[in-house]
Amino acid sequence: MTTAGSQSDAAVQFTRPLRLTFRDDLSSTLLSWLVKSFLFVVTFCSVAAVLLIFVFVIRQAAPFFAESRVSPLERLTEFFTSRRWFPEHQAHPEYGILAIIAGSFYVTITSLLIAVPTGLLAAVFLSDIASFRTRQICKPLIEILAAIPSVAYGVFAVMVVAPWLQKNIGFPTGTNALNASLILSVMAMPTIISVAEDALSAVGREIREASYALGATRAETMLRIVIPAAHSGILAAVILGMMRAVGETMVVWMASGNATQIPSPWWDLSQSVRTMTATIAGELGEVPQGTTHFHSLFAIGLVLLIFTFCLNLLSEHFIMQMKKPKR
Amino acid sequence: MLLSSDKIQKKQQLLRPNMERLSSQTADRQPGPIRLADPNRKPELQQTIRPERVIIRSKDFSFYYGSKIGVEKITMDIEAGSVTAIIGPSGCGKSTFLRCINRMNDLIPNTRAEGLLAVGGQNVYDKNTNLVNLRQQVGMVFQKPNPFAKSIYDNVAYGPRLQGIRRRSELDAIVEQCLRDAALWEEVKDDLSKSALALSGGQQQRLCIARTLANKPKIILMDEPCSALDPLATARIEDLIAALKGTYTIVIVTHNMQQAARVSDRTAFFCLGKLIEYGRTDVLFTNPAKKETEDYITGRFG
Amino acid sequence: MTLWRQIKNTLFTALCSGSVLFLAATLMIFLLPMLWKGSKAVFFRKTVEFDKMQKELFKRGHAEDLERRTAQTNQARQEALALLEHFSRGIDTALLSREVRSAYQQLGRHLRYLEVSDDEYARLREQAKDIRDAFLQALETTDKAEAESLLDTVDAQQTNPRFQNSPFEVVFSLSKQYRQILQEIDLSRRPEYAAELDIVKTEMRNLFGPLPGESIPPLPQDRFGATRWDVAQRHLQYLIYQTKWVPSGKDDKRLIPKQIRRDDPEEGIFGKTELAPLFSMVEQNLAAMLQPRPTIYWRYFLDDSTAGHYFGGVGPEVLGTLLLTVLSMCFAVPLGVLSAAYLVEYAAGGITTRIIRTCINTLAGVPSIVYGLFGLAFFVLLAGNPSILSASMTLALLVLPVIIRASEEAIRAVPQSYKEASLALGAGKFRTFLTVTLPAAGPGILTGIILSLSRAAGETAPILFAGAVALGPIPDIGLHLKWLFQPTRALSYGCYDITVGDRLAMQVPHNQFGMVMTLILLVLLLNLAAVLLRWRMSKKLQGL
Repeated sequence: MTTAGSQSDAAVQFTRPLRLTFRDDLSSTLLSWLVKSFLFVVTFCSVAAVLLIFVFVIRQAAPFFAESRVSPLERLTEFFTSRRWFPEHQAHPEYGILAIIAGSFYVTITSLLIAVPTGLLAAVFLSDIASFRTRQICKPLIEILAAIPSVAYGVFAVMVVAPWLQKNIGFPTGTNALNASLILSVMAMPTIISVAEDALSAVGREIREASYALGATRAETMLRIVIPAAHSGILAAVILGMMRAVGETMVVWMASGNATQIPSPWWDLSQSVRTMTATIAGELGEVPQGTTHFHSLFAIGLVLLIFTFCLNLLSEHFIMQMKKPKR
Repeated sequence: MLLSSDKIQKKQQLLRPNMERLSSQTADRQPGPIRLADPNRKPELQQTIRPERVIIRSKDFSFYYGSKIGVEKITMDIEAGSVTAIIGPSGCGKSTFLRCINRMNDLIPNTRAEGLLAVGGQNVYDKNTNLVNLRQQVGMVFQKPNPFAKSIYDNVAYGPRLQGIRRRSELDAIVEQCLRDAALWEEVKDDLSKSALALSGGQQQRLCIARTLANKPKIILMDEPCSALDPLATARIEDLIAALKGTYTIVIVTHNMQQAARVSDRTAFFCLGKLIEYGRTDVLFTNPAKKETEDYITGRFG
Repeated sequence: MTLWRQIKNTLFTALCSGSVLFLAATLMIFLLPMLWKGSKAVFFRKTVEFDKMQKELFKRGHAEDLERRTAQTNQARQEALALLEHFSRGIDTALLSREVRSAYQQLGRHLRYLEVSDDEYARLREQAKDIRDAFLQALETTDKAEAESLLDTVDAQQTNPRFQNSPFEVVFSLSKQYRQILQEIDLSRRPEYAAELDIVKTEMRNLFGPLPGESIPPLPQDRFGATRWDVAQRHLQYLIYQTKWVPSGKDDKRLIPKQIRRDDPEEGIFGKTELAPLFSMVEQNLAAMLQPRPTIYWRYFLDDSTAGHYFGGVGPEVLGTLLLTVLSMCFAVPLGVLSAAYLVEYAAGGITTRIIRTCINTLAGVPSIVYGLFGLAFFVLLAGNPSILSASMTLALLVLPVIIRASEEAIRAVPQSYKEASLALGAGKFRTFLTVTLPAAGPGILTGIILSLSRAAGETAPILFAGAVALGPIPDIGLHLKWLFQPTRALSYGCYDITVGDRLAMQVPHNQFGMVMTLILLVLLLNLAAVLLRWRMSKKLQGL
């Protein structure tokens, strides 16, 4: 046992210096700077990846527009206004993707027509109607729906849906725009539901309570108060669902029938269409590298990339709006 | 020139109250322990703290969260080896002040400190403060027990390992000693490898104290350590504080006035970010100088 | 008014609940048939042919047991096969004529051997030639009387001592046989019989493998009969029933298909021939002929396959998918977790951080086929050829944003008090992150990793051009790392190829669905693991 005096001395005395020595200061500053810059470089990889994707797709698409035989303007005009896509033709290859873009829009819009109302209603159910337990059951269900690989959906479309459509509805072919749209809508729904549910939940409880306190029913509260208040988040959900549908490859490749045509009459979904993604997936494997056809497929990819990039910026804008407090 | 050197001297005196003591320390000097709570001592002798016993000095210290005031113009000295309680209504800045002492408020963005807050003569908000050494020697026990999701052993050994102690035998000794000091050893000695999260709330808090002790701190800051505990566990923590007194300087923030009265030598009363009154616990509770203090301790507000 | 509002409200609630029910129903409609049909690749009734196939292609099974069963089934099949062979002699005159011709040739050799004089030799040859030609003519004619008279001229020579005990003697027994056949069949219908017999023979081959006397076919799928009982049942139907197009009976002239038994005494084509018993014989004794027994072919997930996935399993595809996903995680996880650490712990809210976030979102939104394009343009054109390495790097880019987001969320979810406790003990910022925050966020990050693993396993479009092939060597994993630069098979691409690309695979739907089931099961298992992990984590956090 030490004496009481030295005990109290020990209590005052600090064993390690509280003042930073120059060496410690330098080394710790240097170290933290190093760590920070290392992490920054690592994080910057994502930015680099985006840049690289753009650069390489543009680099491979550029020869298509800058070919010597035709002027770039002519190329561009043909590319976006012609319906005729015959890149394989020996003497007069034609590169018009209007019908292909139309095909993409056909399946995307039709799938959204199914997915948005259903997804929105499901989001309302999850955010406002379901009990905690029900939600616990429904969430993994939707996650599974989102997790199933697109190629598995594609197999389902070809092996189950297509024969069913042919046999029971009497379509001439089972692989058509409707088949692809149906499957795409199922695939886009999980995205729409989860984003829309976030948006609905972000509208606070107070605003709902205020509506209920005024004697509104749940339907009125949701339709007139909550959904309008959450409109930006819901728009973001629709856009993200649209991105999923536009960018989806395997399902449309397998289920849409791959015929380069704009259906006529325009509402006839039982006809086959071909989308941008399916065109790339189906043809790139067979073209020799460096041909105009090869570069034209990258040009389609570029169109797709720019389109989804714009949609992405738009969705980010809406999500930012959603997160901003509205006061 | 003369003026500036004078200033420096003054500053040094202000910053290093115990320098003088350290230099004049001799073998024959035996002031004896200062037992502030000792009822036999005459009150007037214990009102002020001798400069060489001051371990934390705060002079006109203010702390701001952005434009909001956390604490303002706090001036108080804390004596080494004593237990100091800080009481006050919620939001009065008592936790803010405590967390400034080991600069835990750094985690909050947009904060600003003014004035002097010195620990062992080093202004903690100085640029040249060695934060790692400061925090090692100024331990902290938080409001909610927050053991890491590791084993009991690893929780206690975390600090020593940071300091580079790797030898198993050495670590074993430290872990046992600290758990004994924290009065937890008997309860957990058989399964040190159990997850710390499996302990009860009171045990977890004592584990947090043991974890702090393992760093061999000089000062232990306790931020309402018993607010999440039941009365029995609270009593055990209070016993522990009493046992640690003398060896460690303890600053405890508490909501509970009885607790402050039971465990502390001195008490500071904060209100709305200001230090209202600071003095010996028995005096403050029996004969407060300020009206606000009286109102608070008699339960008229807070 | 109030009632109308009430009704509207109820309707709305019902619609909302209905849409979730619709989703659940969709999931069931999708999952149940896929898994049920796929499970048939593993759980089925195997036949003795399956064991033969396993023995020959995969070198496994009891040799003695298989021999015994082969003997048993061969015995059971013998009668039916003999019947078929006998009957086909009559229809398939090529066989008879070949035998006659060969007998004639052998006679020549025989006579040389006997060293008869040249005159004698020439005379006998001439005689034999006449007989042969008469026989061949008898085989070709469709007139029964003419055939019989021709056979009479053949039989007239039967007593010739020179032909007795010579190879030519067989001609007379053949003539006897043919006489018998002539009694039984209608010669005018012979071409019709021949076409139908061809079908019957094909189906018999499908059921029991190559017919006796046939050489071993070069393709593995032709070497064995029906390896599965359900396939055997299907081929039995094809064997027994023929489809006839008959008028629908109403006034319109549409024809409708009608299933008729081939041995139907009235309408069946073989109803009045000696082949008629074959059908009921096979139908009744099929079990004895094939010896079906239930089996669990768990090696389906490990076995290599023959062309078109006709036999065997999905082993190389599973291996390839695992290689691709694990390797892509090796790239993506360190990048993703460290990026998340930067974003949570270090990034200030400046313009740089906003750009980084926008880029991560963009990366998440890039269509998978564009990743495929990029993989081709960057990794493949740089590295030279499609390979596991380029495919997994493409996949790594694809899952990078997923991992960053999941890790960020997990790191943010670590209670501040944890970090404070560590900092209060004197640990530095990065030290705290490594020793406290990261372990605490570990389960959350792991959940994210598992989910992106399942995402990477299912993606097809990015690896289409970057390293996936439908048929290829199994990667030979080793320290030499050469396998990194080879393309590989993968489950996702295999699913596409087996359903759309491969004609042979269309004959084996159980294997088509089996591969899709394997992929779905893999993904579901990974998701289940993630859900369990999250569940345990939330329990742990509640205990805190």
